[in-house]
Order: sequence, then structure tokens, then C-alpha cells
Amino acid sequence: MNSGIDLQGTFIQSLSDLGISAELAKVLWMPFPMLLMIIGATVGVLVNVWLERKISAAVQQRIGPEFAGPLGVLQPVADGLKLVFKEDITPANADPYLFTIGPILVVMPVFISYLIVPFGQNLVITNVNTGVFLWIAFSSVVPIGLLMSGYASNNKYSLIGGLRAAAQSISYEIPLALSVLAIVLMSNSLSTIDIVEQQSGYGILSWNVWRQPVGFVIFWISALAECERLPFDLPEAEEELVAGYQTEYSGMKFALFYIASYVNLVLSALLVAILYLGGWSSPIPIEVLSNLIGVDPATSWVQVVDASLGIGMTVLKAYFLVFLAIITRWTVPRVRIDQLLNLGWKFLLPIALANLLITAALKLAFPTAFGG
Amino acid sequence: MQIAEGVQLVTFGILSVLMLGAALGVVLFANIVYSAFLLGGVFISMAGIYILLNADFVSAAQILVYVGAVNVLILFAIMLVNKREDFKPLKNNWIRQGTTALVCAGLFTLLSTVSLVTPWAISTTTIPLASSIVPLAKHFFTDFLLPFELASILLLMSMVGAIILARRDFLPDSVGTSTPDSLTLPERPRELVGK
Amino acid sequence: MLKFLKQVIDYGKETAQAAKYIGQGLAVTFDHMQRRPVTVQYPYEKLIPSERFRGRIHFEFDKCISCEVCVRVCPINLPVVDYEFDKASKKKKLNSYSIDFGVCIFCGNCVEYCPTNCLSMTEEYELSTFDRHELNYDSVALGRLPTKVTDDPMVTALRTMAYLPKGVMSPRDLPAGAQRANSNE
Repeated sequence: MNSGIDLQGTFIQSLSDLGISAELAKVLWMPFPMLLMIIGATVGVLVNVWLERKISAAVQQRIGPEFAGPLGVLQPVADGLKLVFKEDITPANADPYLFTIGPILVVMPVFISYLIVPFGQNLVITNVNTGVFLWIAFSSVVPIGLLMSGYASNNKYSLIGGLRAAAQSISYEIPLALSVLAIVLMSNSLSTIDIVEQQSGYGILSWNVWRQPVGFVIFWISALAECERLPFDLPEAEEELVAGYQTEYSGMKFALFYIASYVNLVLSALLVAILYLGGWSSPIPIEVLSNLIGVDPATSWVQVVDASLGIGMTVLKAYFLVFLAIITRWTVPRVRIDQLLNLGWKFLLPIALANLLITAALKLAFPTAFGG
Repeated sequence: MQIAEGVQLVTFGILSVLMLGAALGVVLFANIVYSAFLLGGVFISMAGIYILLNADFVSAAQILVYVGAVNVLILFAIMLVNKREDFKPLKNNWIRQGTTALVCAGLFTLLSTVSLVTPWAISTTTIPLASSIVPLAKHFFTDFLLPFELASILLLMSMVGAIILARRDFLPDSVGTSTPDSLTLPERPRELVGK
Repeated sequence: MLKFLKQVIDYGKETAQAAKYIGQGLAVTFDHMQRRPVTVQYPYEKLIPSERFRGRIHFEFDKCISCEVCVRVCPINLPVVDYEFDKASKKKKLNSYSIDFGVCIFCGNCVEYCPTNCLSMTEEYELSTFDRHELNYDSVALGRLPTKVTDDPMVTALRTMAYLPKGVMSPRDLPAGAQRANSNE
């Protein structure tokens, strides 16, 4: 496996050639990935909102946004602008501090989790050892923000919505973590890079989804529940709770919740792609292809193609899963809160445990196929 | 390594101030919900200090377990029970507060003397660990096996206990009778402001 | 033990069945994605109201004999008929007539009972205003010639489902002179 393109190394190298010390060059490099992450996540959200509206329209035999830009692609931007300029209302008797901190606490961990999403061999912001574990840890901070905003709104619907959100994300975090653990068991590492590398041997055949079909389903269901997507959007069930914890919010604070939910959806889809669908690796390995046409895989243009194909593949897989989530939204009716908790604790949790045990047993029995 | 060291120092300072401030807030706020949220702040700054000590796994576990589970459950309990009532201030409240402050100050001096007197074996050379997960796991399954298993048995016991408590079926014989004393918290009733 | 095993098997079967049903549902949803939109792009396209559509009420001042039948048949006595008795001609002389469309339920009783047919239903349904008092139409407003969807050059008028030829589902791009189904009956 070649190392691919190393942007950071090249940047630091070229700056030190200009006479700047390597350390300062590293400091100068730092803002780029951060900015890239924020911009990438935001653009991902815009695309996601547009897709959601268009696909929902198609499913319901409507046209959807049409006039803002070609095919309505600028509609999410218009939505965002509208929310920015809307009046920001803090209800009377609400707790102004908690009311403001709540949405911020919801958004931040989701954006930070993008740190560990790799788009290629070196196209990751930090290749930390804790990898996916960091994501699970950060996503567990979100319910605190939801509880905070639910409590601070001084509205019983908000409070119930916040409590439901917290209950839901606590109970679905466990099957989620257990199915991730089965993957980690196979790749011997928590790092997302290592997890993708481990699946990149034989193209589509070596993807984890064939070795972990049960884990894949559990992970996807739990991820939908964590993102509060239909059929699990109980915290904001319109018919029961008006809009749950978002009831009293307007303007930019509401937009933060909105962004957080969509960023979270894209993030979950990206992580499913990384953990189960081979991340940046294409269905047919690029080495095989370049050997077919008789080009050395180490040539620079093949490297560039490889890197862009990696980004494209990751995004493509992620948006396929987003598409699946949107289709599911219009197919499955919302579950009740007791059905939701039953599904989490009595169905997904035992199956995830059994899946983990079976994976461990298979790893001992067939170390070649299940990561020795 | 000057910039890195400077960043480390500043981060340590910010984290310590945050942690101490949040901890004081937990104790001193009258509103119990604020205290619970600040407790989350304490846990998160503690996780930051773990990162400064090169213990990345422990810090992520700190966030997952303490912020994501323990603190959320505390908040849950508070929000399901807390009725936002204003209580009458107790008579001679300053005696209680003074005693608490005294005890706390005593404990603080005791602990700080202990930490100052103890000859800590500080190794000045930092060992950059490739991954702290594997050594942690090795410790868990070799020399720390017994404490690890005991802790898990303790957790299992508490879980079984919680389930038994939660499953206790209580059917009131007649509607309207007050709940028996065994189901109420042994707490002295306090008078409300309005009464 | 066997009973427990049976329970487990039944549970598994139920799960598989649930998964199957969700899969079927997804297939239905997916199938809908490739169908044509059924919606009408409102400000640019409008449906032609049917013949018996009950829209804004039209009133002809000169035909009215101030008999107040419309008031009596109205469920809420809504029309306001302001007249005075002209002693010279021994007839009622109408001063003004008004209906508040913010209150009217468009039941059409007044139109039905009007002895001189001075009240009639129009196709107009775009009555929204910024102030509800503007919905109180006086005899001048009620007497305005109703607009028709088919006369508006800005609007593509579309036929509703019942007025399409047999087997045609989309009102767009109909051949000229296409007759509705069962039109000869």
C-alpha cells in the first residue's frame, strides 16, 4: 500500500523552503483543515437538505424546490439566509443562558466528530488512535445540549422532547458501540484509517458488510435513532410534542439544531461507509485497474486520480446511505416511545451482543478471514 | 518545541481554571440544574487534562461514561423530580454553611499537604506512546484482573438492584390515599415561600 | 426448553416478516420516485373549476327587488340588504347590498332561492386579503365581472380529473378539442 498524497508534508516542506521554521509552518497549516472541515460539513448539509427536499418531493409525486437556482439547488441557501435574518426570540421566563448554550452544545460535538472521517490515505484531519471511539464519545455529549435546551425553554413539550431525546440517544448508543466493537475486533484498531485499510484488499468483496451483515443493520438502525430521523424522530414528534425541544426556538438558534441534525445524518452515513462499505476504496481496487492498463500505481497522475476517486467514493457511498435514510423516512411510520425503547433494549442490544460474541469466536476460528 | 510547550501551558491553565470554576459553581449554585450542567463542564475539562497527559483513550472514555451517561442520568433524575419551587430560607443557615465550608477547607488542606509531602516519582522524560489502548487492556487482563472483575460484579449487582427496585409493583388499595412512607424519600419537608 | 426454543423461532419469524414488510414498503416508495408529479404549479398553472363550483357570489344590482329571501335562507342571515320604500312608485328601492365573504360559507342557498336570479355563483376563489374587513364586499364589488382562469394569458389552465378524456391521467399537452369521458351522455 503506497502512502498516497501527503498534503501536509508538502505544505510544510514548501514553507520551510521559503525560510520559515518547520514549527511555524505547522502552525500555519493548522487553520486549513479546520476551515475545510467546517466548510465541507456545511456544504454537505446544504446538499443534504436539497436532496431531502427533492427526493421527498419525488416520492410524493411533487416537484419540490424548482425556482431558486437550477433545479432549486440554491433553496437550502435561501432557507439558511431566511433563518439568519429571522428574529431571535427568547421566551419570557426561559433561562436565557441555558437557552443559548443548548444549541451550541448540540452543534459542536457533531462538527468535531468530522475530525476522524477519512477521505483518503492522508486525507483525514487527525488520525488519532481512538478514532471511532472518539466519535461515540462526542456524540454522547449531544443529549446534554438537548436536555439543556428542553429545560431552559420553560415549556413542557420542550422538556418532554429533551428528555425523550436523551433517553433515546442513551439507549441506542449501546447497540451502536457494540456493533462498532465487532468491527474494531476484526481490524485490531480503533483508527478509522486502519479500519478502511483492513477492508481494501479485494475490492468490494473485502468490505465489512459481507462479514458483518447483522452489525451493519444494527449500526444503521441505531444511527438513524441517534440522528432522530424518522421512524425514530420521537423527540420532535409534531403530533404529540409540537416540535419537541425546538418548540421555543427561532432564527439562528433553531438553525443550529437544524444544521446539527443534518450534519449528524451525513456524519453517520459517512461512518457507515467507512466502517462497512470500505470507505474510500473503490469496488475494484485501483491497483488492479492501473495494472490492467499497464501503468505503475506509483505514478503521480494515478495518485491524483486515486485521491480524487477516494473522495468521490466516500461521498458517493455516504450519499447513497442518505438516500436510503430519506426513502425510509417516507416509508416507515413513526414508532411509539415504548416501541422505540423495546426495539433498542430488547432487540438490538441482545443481537448486538450475540453478534460481538460470534465475531470474537469467528476471529479465533478463522483468523485469516476475520482479522487475526 | 517552544510553540508546542507554550500551547500546552496555556491549555493547561485554561483547563484548570475552567475545571476549578465549574467545580465551585457545582457547589455554590442554588439552582440544582445549573450545578448538574456545570458538573458536565468539570468532567469535560478533566478529559482535556487527560489528553494533556497523553491518555487519549482515558479521556474519550471519561467523556463517554461521565458526560454521556452519568451526567445525563443525573440531569434526567433532576428534571423528572425538580419542581422549581422557592423554599423559605432556613433559620441559622449560616451555621450549616460555615460548618460545611470549614469541613471542606480542612479536607482541602489535608489533601494538599498529602500531595505536597508525598515524594512523587516524576519521570521528566515523556514516553510517546503509540497507542495507550493495548497497554491498558494488558493491565486489565493481567495484574489488574481482580479489581476489574470485582468492579464489573459490583456494577452488575447495582444493576440488578435497580431493576428490582424499578419493577416493584405498587398498587394503591384505594384511590386518594396518600402514598405510604416507605415510598417517599426520607427528607425533612421544607416550607414553600407561598404558604 | 422446547417451548422456549419455539418462542425464539416465532420471534425470529416475526422479525423476518417485519423486515420483509419494510422492504416491500421501500419498494413501493422507490417505485413512486419515477412517476410524474401530480401537483399543479399553482401561480403558473390553475385548475379549471367545475360548472357547479361555488366561488365568490356575483350580484346584479338592477335585478334585485329587495325581497330579502337571501337573508332568510342564509344559515347566518349574512347578506345586508339596505332599501327604502319609495312611496311614489310603491316599490322598494335598493340602496346597497353587501355580503361578507370572511363569514360566508358558500353554501349557495341565497343563489338557489333568489326569485329574480340576481345572485349567481362565479369561478373566483382567490379571495385572500391582508385585512379581513376587505372581504366585506359591497354591491359594487359583488357586481364586478368575474375573472376566468381560461382568460388569463399568464396562466396555463388545466382540466380536473373528471374532465379528461378516457384513459388520460395528465391534463398537460391535451390534443385540441379533446372531449371528456362520457361527454355524450
